[in-house]
Amino acid sequence: MTNEPSENAAVEPDFAGFDQLVTGLARWSGGLPDWPPAARVRAEWEQVEPRLERARRELSRMLVVGVVGGTGTGKSTLVNALAGADVTAAGDVARPTTVAPVVVAARDVDLSWLPVDAMGARVVRSDAPAVANIVLVDCPDPDTQPAATVSRDSGAAPRPSDANRNRELLEAVLPACDVLLLVATAQKYRSWIVACEVQAFAPGRPLLFVQTHAARDPDIRADWRRELESQGFNVPRIFRLDGVEAARRAAAGLEPEPGFRELTTAIDEELVGRAARRVRRTGALDLAGWFARQARRQLGGLREPVAQLAAGVAAERARLEAILARAVGAKLRASRGAWQRLVTDEVVDRWHGGPFAAFLHVLAALGALWSRVRPGGGLIGRLLAGQSPATAAGAGGWQAVAELGLSEAEVEQSRSILAGLAARARLTEPLVGRARLDAARVPATAGALLERTGHWLAAGIDKLVTARRGRAGGPLLHWIFEGLFGGLLAAVIGRAGWKFFHDHLWLGRPMDGGGFLQEALVWIILWGLLLRWIVFAVVRSGLDRDITALVGRLPAAKLVDPLLTDFADAAARTNAFLDEGDRLGREADALAAALDEPAALGRLRGGSS
Amino acid sequence: MIPAEDTLVAATMAVWESVEGRWVTGNRPLGKGRSAGVEHDRSATAAPGEFMAWSARVSELCHLVETLAPTAAALGAPDPAAAPWHGPLFGKLRPQVSRSPLLVVAVCGGTNTGKSLIANTLVGAEISRSLPEAARTRHPVASLPRGLAGRIELAELFPGFTPVAWADEDDALAATDEDRLVWREEPTGSQPERLVLLDTPDIDGTLRDNWQRAELVRNAADVVVAVLTQQKYNDAVVRDFFTAAAGAGKAVLVVFNMVAWPQQRERIAGWLATFTAETGVRPMAVYAAPHDFAAAEAGRIAFHPLPELTPDGSTLGPAERLAGCDFDRIKLDAMTGALGVVLDARTGLGTWLDAYEQAAGRWRQARQLLAQEGRVRVDLPTAPREIVWNEIWKWLEPRRSGFDLAVSRVYRVAGRGVTWAARRVGLARSEAERREDFSVVELAALKQALADFVERLDDACRRDPLLAGVLGPRLESADRAAWYADLERRHAALPLVSEDYRGFVRGELDRFARDNPQLVGWILTGLNVGAVARPAITVGLGLAGAAAVPAAAATAGGLTTLVHHVGDVVVGTAATLAGEGALGLTAAGLKPVIETLFAGWSAERGRILAETLHDVVLGDRLAEIDRLAAAAARPEVARARRLLVESARGAGRA
Repeated sequence: MTNEPSENAAVEPDFAGFDQLVTGLARWSGGLPDWPPAARVRAEWEQVEPRLERARRELSRMLVVGVVGGTGTGKSTLVNALAGADVTAAGDVARPTTVAPVVVAARDVDLSWLPVDAMGARVVRSDAPAVANIVLVDCPDPDTQPAATVSRDSGAAPRPSDANRNRELLEAVLPACDVLLLVATAQKYRSWIVACEVQAFAPGRPLLFVQTHAARDPDIRADWRRELESQGFNVPRIFRLDGVEAARRAAAGLEPEPGFRELTTAIDEELVGRAARRVRRTGALDLAGWFARQARRQLGGLREPVAQLAAGVAAERARLEAILARAVGAKLRASRGAWQRLVTDEVVDRWHGGPFAAFLHVLAALGALWSRVRPGGGLIGRLLAGQSPATAAGAGGWQAVAELGLSEAEVEQSRSILAGLAARARLTEPLVGRARLDAARVPATAGALLERTGHWLAAGIDKLVTARRGRAGGPLLHWIFEGLFGGLLAAVIGRAGWKFFHDHLWLGRPMDGGGFLQEALVWIILWGLLLRWIVFAVVRSGLDRDITALVGRLPAAKLVDPLLTDFADAAARTNAFLDEGDRLGREADALAAALDEPAALGRLRGGSS
Repeated sequence: MIPAEDTLVAATMAVWESVEGRWVTGNRPLGKGRSAGVEHDRSATAAPGEFMAWSARVSELCHLVETLAPTAAALGAPDPAAAPWHGPLFGKLRPQVSRSPLLVVAVCGGTNTGKSLIANTLVGAEISRSLPEAARTRHPVASLPRGLAGRIELAELFPGFTPVAWADEDDALAATDEDRLVWREEPTGSQPERLVLLDTPDIDGTLRDNWQRAELVRNAADVVVAVLTQQKYNDAVVRDFFTAAAGAGKAVLVVFNMVAWPQQRERIAGWLATFTAETGVRPMAVYAAPHDFAAAEAGRIAFHPLPELTPDGSTLGPAERLAGCDFDRIKLDAMTGALGVVLDARTGLGTWLDAYEQAAGRWRQARQLLAQEGRVRVDLPTAPREIVWNEIWKWLEPRRSGFDLAVSRVYRVAGRGVTWAARRVGLARSEAERREDFSVVELAALKQALADFVERLDDACRRDPLLAGVLGPRLESADRAAWYADLERRHAALPLVSEDYRGFVRGELDRFARDNPQLVGWILTGLNVGAVARPAITVGLGLAGAAAVPAAAATAGGLTTLVHHVGDVVVGTAATLAGEGALGLTAAGLKPVIETLFAGWSAERGRILAETLHDVVLGDRLAEIDRLAAAAARPEVARARRLLVESARGAGRA
């Protein structure tokens, strides 16, 4: 339908833009069905959509003009005057006069598309030129039916008006109308009930305003215009005529009075032929724009709560990360022994050959034996003990998370705070969860947290260890230490050899016994331990600073996100929904601004209460 | 109509007489309207008392309704001001029952039906501007008989209005939020002495303030001049307005305005039949005013009497008709009519009291729901034993023998050594560390309990819209992070052993010692005898304490009590804290005392949560819910019911 040739681009609305807008609104309004405010918008869309659809489908059929107004304002008289005959009962005998709607159409018009039965209407054919190209509906009045709130108790005597259903009939007819012809008199133009009904049905329906009883009543058009404008209507023109006089002249075949002629001319010019297509398009665009405005007005108050929820998620995430970082940092710093083992293992692995390396290997083997006797606890302990992150993460559960230093209570506190903010934004289950994660979700959530933390920590520890290994990894340092250690060893062996070969074997002096070697062994071990301590001091220096730096990078890893995903997602989705609504609203406003105002047709601007 | 009416008439007359007499001494200002047929002095000696009771009942009823109204609004009960009995009670009975019997005539009708012109014509002067635009009269205009303004308080006679002296015809057009009553004394003296005539704003236009002002005037009126037109005589809002007037016993004068005269003359009977059938109005007279714009502008509206539609067939014009009617009879009908509306079994004040009590009943249910839901189990961690034991030892210290003290001091030092060694090898934590650990776990438990409690409140609100109304704004708009911060603050501020608790321990143990002197003696002997065996106990207490305290269950017992008390404190029924009910000594022996002491300690810890819930989370909302749940039992309700019964009996309706 978008490829219809646009005959006159200056007059016709932007059809492609309109179609895009309708598609956009349809998709948008159904985008977040679990969110009650969005569901309400959707429900309203379902009221509006069929009308927009019909406007697109039935672009070229003739317009249905509903004649509406209070009882006694001369609706039926005007319809008779337009039809050129008494097609509907009019007069002052009884109020209300019209109790069933009357549809007036030209003889050859196919009315199969009009839900006449649902409207409870009677169809009358007319040859009058004024109704040759439109369908006219004489509507029941809205002001004689008792208000629904006034419920009458069974004890009171029944009144004739209890059977009056005129307003309900009217509300069944108006949906079928494309244009409203609002009829008022000096007595009725400020009628509250009529104003309510017109307000309810005006969106997307252009209006013609007519003051009747011109022969008897003063001209109240200036005041009526003020009143209509205060209700949010654009009022380009108000016609003033006398229905009785017009009908009399029509019956007598006389020249119509000027007010009546102006109205029929306006109908011909504004509601017939290509103008009808434009009216329908304009009406549809007005309706779409009205819907977008309504929706934005309804959702407007939620902007701030949604933004607060997003801010709350950020704040709680930061809070939990700070707790986690503090605990992880403290645990890493406290695991001095584990670090030492880890780093020396690395160093020992790299240094091969030479007596010092052999010495270190022996000590590492003994240390490993001790660590097997008392393995470190928790994820960090296991990671530092060299387990893979997957194994170290173990089974997900609060116990494991609490070992990391993040207690269930802190998580519940955050989720409870966010639940409050979410409630303000009308976000409840199932969009967001409860403060206490339900048992079924705990393993997955805690598991995800542990796994993320495990991988991140493992990578961080690896990097740290690698950097430190580099310091002691060079062959120069190795051989210096080998030299220092080996020197003592060589001296001891040299002296022992000298004693044995020279003194004992050559000079024949007696042996000293094992005393020297025992003492030497003690000194070698002490010397080795001193050298080892120096190596480790080199490797370990600045470890605390590096741990602080590692922990400082924790927020970037988004470790605690799994705990608050539902709130973060909900905030993001609702925010996106609001943004899209605003964008569509601006689109509708832009399209509406591009329309030029019809000369005689009024429109509801939407600035009303 | 009403059996007791004669008495009432006489009583009313007598009182009005005396009121009149007080006002104008010497000169009896009987209006031309007073009918000669009323016997003024009949039973005048007995009746005033009854009348006074009647009038006192009215003013007390008004006072009771006004007292209950704010609570009713909070309860969500119907607004009394919107009820059909409210206008007759507050606008008619209260201001007029004990005042001069002025006859109030109000000209009422839809927009642009010519009310102001008709009022001007009836008064014989332009008091109210008439304009072609609709709904321009925004405030009622009263024409008072000459000399009346100085004698009456218009603000009291027309409650809700601010009287404004008339300056010109445009006074009533001012668009103000204030409800004004523009008044003017009729200068020529032709207006009957006790007759007040008012022009009113419209009753069907887009300005709802106008409707309300017209209704206020109608409530005060005795006679309503219904201005109808062929366009408006059957509009629903017009019908409703005059239905209320007829229901309150007001006399109605019908004027069909803007009639095409005489072409539409025969239509009028049909219009009137519809109007009377719909509204229940029994018009005292019917007139037709022709549609003559020029004549109307000139203030020359012709009223055509329609004797065939008037019950007494009179052909008097409306002004003469009003001047000549029986003021007191009409006044009394209007008063008894108003009382009838107030006493009506289906729509009267009694039904509002029913609705009030129903609403209060719903609040009682809501309160019960909250009491059920607002309980949380606080899983406080087991306390470090020495906290309580240290206090017990301190109490025992002065009661022990020198030998025992010396021995125990030696072993305490030895015990410290063992503890230190155990700590070094990682098998034990220091006392400070254990306290720190306990504090962390305890705070976590309190926070979880708070989160749980808040969630329960959320659920309760979801189940009960009333609770949602009271608690919802607090739960949604409050900064929940501040609640947790408050809990943390209170927790940090509470030392592990507070002075309160020390006092509690001393008091309990003193009481125990008084009640069981031998037992304490036995314990002390036991301590002396067992001094050698003590080191293990001291160290054990320091490390775990489980072996020495046979009361692991006692703490749990205390907690349960506490949980209940948290709930109760919060719901505001039993305002006592710290499990006092459960702390009484039930059996002699050390075990219950120790249990008591542990329970008391836990209770004090849990009190932090109770205080946060009470002070920060719920604030004054609990008191509000309590107040609303108790509202049905207010003495005003019962009193109002009794007054209604008495009034009905007084009016012969019991």
